Amino acid sequence: MLKWWPLFGIRRHLTEKKEYKSPISIQSLYGKLFQRSLFVYILDVGSSNALNFEISALESPQYNIHRFGIYLTDSPRHADVLFVLGRPTEPMLAPMNETLNQLPEPYYVITIDDSFDDLTMSPYPEIKHHVAQLKGVPSPSEILGLLLELSKTKRIVS
Amino acid sequence: MRLLAGIIETDGKEQLLIIEDGIVRLFSVENEEQREEFAYYNLLKDRQLHLRNESVSGPGVFRFRYGPVTAGVREAGCFHLYTFGEKILHAGIDLSWKHRRMEDAFENKTSQQAVGLAESICSNFALSHSVAFTRAIENALDIKVDMGVQNWRNILLEVERIYNHLYVISKLASAAAQKVLASHLSSLFEEALRLNEILTGSRYLMGINHVGRLHHIPSLENMQHAITSYSLISKRFERLFVHSVNNANYMDRLHASGTLTADQAISMGLSGPSLRACGVKDDLNTTIGHLIQLPVITQNEGDALARMEVRAEELMNSCEYIINHLKISDAWNFNPDEDIEPFNQSGEGCGIANSPSGAIAYYVAINDGMITYARVFTPSYVGMNAAAFSLDEHIFTDFPFIFDSFGVHFSDAAR
Repeated sequence: MLKWWPLFGIRRHLTEKKEYKSPISIQSLYGKLFQRSLFVYILDVGSSNALNFEISALESPQYNIHRFGIYLTDSPRHADVLFVLGRPTEPMLAPMNETLNQLPEPYYVITIDDSFDDLTMSPYPEIKHHVAQLKGVPSPSEILGLLLELSKTKRIVS
Repeated sequence: MRLLAGIIETDGKEQLLIIEDGIVRLFSVENEEQREEFAYYNLLKDRQLHLRNESVSGPGVFRFRYGPVTAGVREAGCFHLYTFGEKILHAGIDLSWKHRRMEDAFENKTSQQAVGLAESICSNFALSHSVAFTRAIENALDIKVDMGVQNWRNILLEVERIYNHLYVISKLASAAAQKVLASHLSSLFEEALRLNEILTGSRYLMGINHVGRLHHIPSLENMQHAITSYSLISKRFERLFVHSVNNANYMDRLHASGTLTADQAISMGLSGPSLRACGVKDDLNTTIGHLIQLPVITQNEGDALARMEVRAEELMNSCEYIINHLKISDAWNFNPDEDIEPFNQSGEGCGIANSPSGAIAYYVAINDGMITYARVFTPSYVGMNAAAFSLDEHIFTDFPFIFDSFGVHFSDAAR
């Protein structure tokens, strides 16, 4: 007989207990406003896909981001943080600006540029509340550290 | 079988890049029959960024645009779905949102500089792109590659296959609301990425492969760690897979979704798991000689379930392949960074690699050590076309199963 899925999975504890460090220090614009919950919207504007994979990895049970009050949201209108993945292709500039317009105040914007150095792609336009600009592909630990730094939460280790 | 991987046009001359018996060759086009052999000739010739760009009209029919900014399609891409409500009457895909003009960026670079560019076309296929590109360069410049380098490339291609297959199967489980299964698979996916970093220094296997050589090979200690870890990943995955195929809810969601017949798959130029799920054996596993032969996994149904099952079996086979190779790695230990023999500075050549989703092919022309022309043909391009075709006549609920089961990516397709 088929074992009920929750029973199948419940015996293994996958969530890690460790401290996640941000690769950069971030200027806090709103103090501890987001310390209890932080909703993140992901926008790919031209990444090489490694960042999308890293966001998927961040959703794995090892990191269990919900324990810190961090959630990925399906709409920019529900977001406290906009993660912009990659440097924008020309066609993506307009949708990116429109997404920025949909963000409710107050919000943070973080851009991660994983493009190959010499690529002739559009630079980032002037973005309001652009608190961090990363280069390369940060690991899920680093992304989580960044979000914890941003939320100023006390729950560094669950 | 003969697979047309791409079409090259230089100086008004047209050449077909054809894979046969695992070997890629260029053929000059001399008559119309050569073109007619491949039903997807026009698709590869035109390389349009708008796939299946036809419109559909009728009572109540409207176009629903899905993307490029939506949580359902995380990459920058867009679907044009014609519908009158629940059923998708026709699906088209717009790749232009993610078109980064990568092929143009190869020009005026040395082959060593361009390896990183090939890797960044689609980072989750970074090694496949890098291997196909370096094989094309080695072919163009007549570089002899050490057997040890060739073997390590084959091993690392299987390493790449494992984490990509875990990703696709995890996405399918998540779309089918199998949250426990999806969480376990997601944890295995993260384990596999960490293992990549231990083996190569990069979670996406970047920077290890170079023209004619490898940057480094893993230490014996890391190889031992990989043997144990892949053995555990394989065992944990097998348990989950066996459990999941006994789950009627899960099977019901994938069964008969996005079905392709073998003839349709061949006529669309598919390769890799999407083709093999239709019962067609391709030659990609014999691309470059393997020390241990990899079995070619096939299924017959051609639906999302068959594509998932092919990936699941391949994943377990890849783990076994890596473990068996690493156990005998002492026998072919070598200095990966030693200088390669002097070679030509000009030439043209092609190369392929068996990526997790099918054949990746490169054509390069080099003059005085600088790349003058490069063309990249990816499995996601033909895969996107097939995925859009498979969506027709299905309901919206089936959308994620069908699209995810092809394992295609906008960054790979749009280049």
